[in-house]
Amino acid sequence: MANGWKIARGRSNAQLPLAIVAVLAVVLVLLGKAQSTLFDRARASFSDWTRPTLEWVSAPLEGAASWFGNMGHIFVVYRENLRLKEENARLRQWQNAALVLDDRLKRYQLLLNAVPDPSLSSVTARVIGRASRPFLDTMILDAGKSQNVKPGEAVVDARGMIGRIFLAGDRTSWVLLLTDLNSRIPVMIQPGNIQAIMAGDNSPTPTLDTLAQTAQLKAGDQVVTSGDGGLIPPGLPVGVIVANGDGFRVALLSDPDTSEDVRVVDFKLPQEQPPAPSPNDLPASAAGLKPEPPAPPTNNSQPGAATPGNASPSTIAPNVTASKPLTATQGASAPPSHSAVVSVPVKLKPVPPSDANPAPPADDPGNQ
Amino acid sequence: MSVMQDRLGLSFRSTLGAVIPFFCAVIGAIIANMPVSVLGGVLPAPMLALMPIYFWCLVRPDLMPPFAAFTIGVLEDLLCGGPPGVWTASFIAAYALIDRERESFAGLAGIGAILGFAAAMLAAGTTAYLIVSVYYWHLPPLAPIVIEIVVSVAFYFPVVAILGWIHRRLVGPLRGDF
Repeated sequence: MANGWKIARGRSNAQLPLAIVAVLAVVLVLLGKAQSTLFDRARASFSDWTRPTLEWVSAPLEGAASWFGNMGHIFVVYRENLRLKEENARLRQWQNAALVLDDRLKRYQLLLNAVPDPSLSSVTARVIGRASRPFLDTMILDAGKSQNVKPGEAVVDARGMIGRIFLAGDRTSWVLLLTDLNSRIPVMIQPGNIQAIMAGDNSPTPTLDTLAQTAQLKAGDQVVTSGDGGLIPPGLPVGVIVANGDGFRVALLSDPDTSEDVRVVDFKLPQEQPPAPSPNDLPASAAGLKPEPPAPPTNNSQPGAATPGNASPSTIAPNVTASKPLTATQGASAPPSHSAVVSVPVKLKPVPPSDANPAPPADDPGNQ
Repeated sequence: MSVMQDRLGLSFRSTLGAVIPFFCAVIGAIIANMPVSVLGGVLPAPMLALMPIYFWCLVRPDLMPPFAAFTIGVLEDLLCGGPPGVWTASFIAAYALIDRERESFAGLAGIGAILGFAAAMLAAGTTAYLIVSVYYWHLPPLAPIVIEIVVSVAFYFPVVAILGWIHRRLVGPLRGDF
């Protein structure tokens, strides 16, 4: 390139500035390690800001890429159609079997009084960007905090899990793909319910870490999320085991390169709530007294605030022994008639039913 | 009055000429980090931000000072979504190499110049790889960074033609000192 323009020869006077920026770069790396949220916030703001442009640019490009990618499929469309018809018929049989088994499982759970599975809510989002850099595999969705998307939530497509939200802006969010170097999710391999950690390494097939030495794997085993940690719901399909030399890897079911619409699954284990207090639990009942009917609400009394005027005798009952603290928050599920009673944190001791404390009638809402 | 206007105009044109290289790198960083893949993710985006740094650091280092390279690196880190500071440090490492070996690089022409950029890209890639290894305390696979280097070097052919055109037609006439 020496021809065409003049090239500056010799050493420049950049030694001192170079040393300064080198130190700054090292500080930036250390700062990024210690305070990564600073960069994350800036990235989220930037993707929020560029969201309209991204949507505008990505739509035709994705369409063109899809069109070019599907060019080869035109020549095998007849054979593909036959194969899909056969597969569809087979899957319908499996669907019937799954419905029967699901129904049977629900009946068994009812018989065993098993804790029901927590319900999942989800947000459907559109993929507006993908980035594959040497040290990061990610995609950007058009849903963020304003759609209740939070970091850590699982992202799935029609086939299986794709990754997790690692950065949520107001209207966009970034997904850490399962193939990314930083991805670690707890999985379970079936059959056998073998627990493992699936780790991405920027290759299309993640590895399995922390696998028990006695675990016996074979190609074709199913990999699903185990739900350990309570952040990702259990049972989400992830992939199948494939042999890779001496070890095993996971061939993912999802395809992040072609997914256009995905679901962000909001999974929260239900918080354990104490049972609502019944009249038998009240200190007045424990003392053998009849509970006083609730005082009528006054204009100047705040809901949930105890004042000398609205405090029932039970709140000032002497000799109350208790082992379980009960606050207004915990008593939120109690009937409204008890709200003034439980508004002041009072330690209560459940009282076993006895002759002196007859059980309330069945239609008493406090005993439900 | 007209002399002052001439001087102001000259100063403005000169400043504009001086910031063009920086903005070329900024545009390169934005284009390379657009989360849209034309090739369906088959190939990674080339490191477009490093090309103007290499080009002007070699041709006119006064138009691409270390602080400009640092700022471009921060922007690259911000846009690419990886660990913060990795590409900043990598660009500074590449800048230091070019600055140190300017005599050697300046004598290169044609394919040699491409090899010069390959050396700079190799320095940047190696630095990034080492930082990420320490950052995660885990050796990442080599293939992605090697592919990134190869793709970037391959893209340097067309990009250097555009940068040369910008240098000759825009930066030179605006600066008036070339």
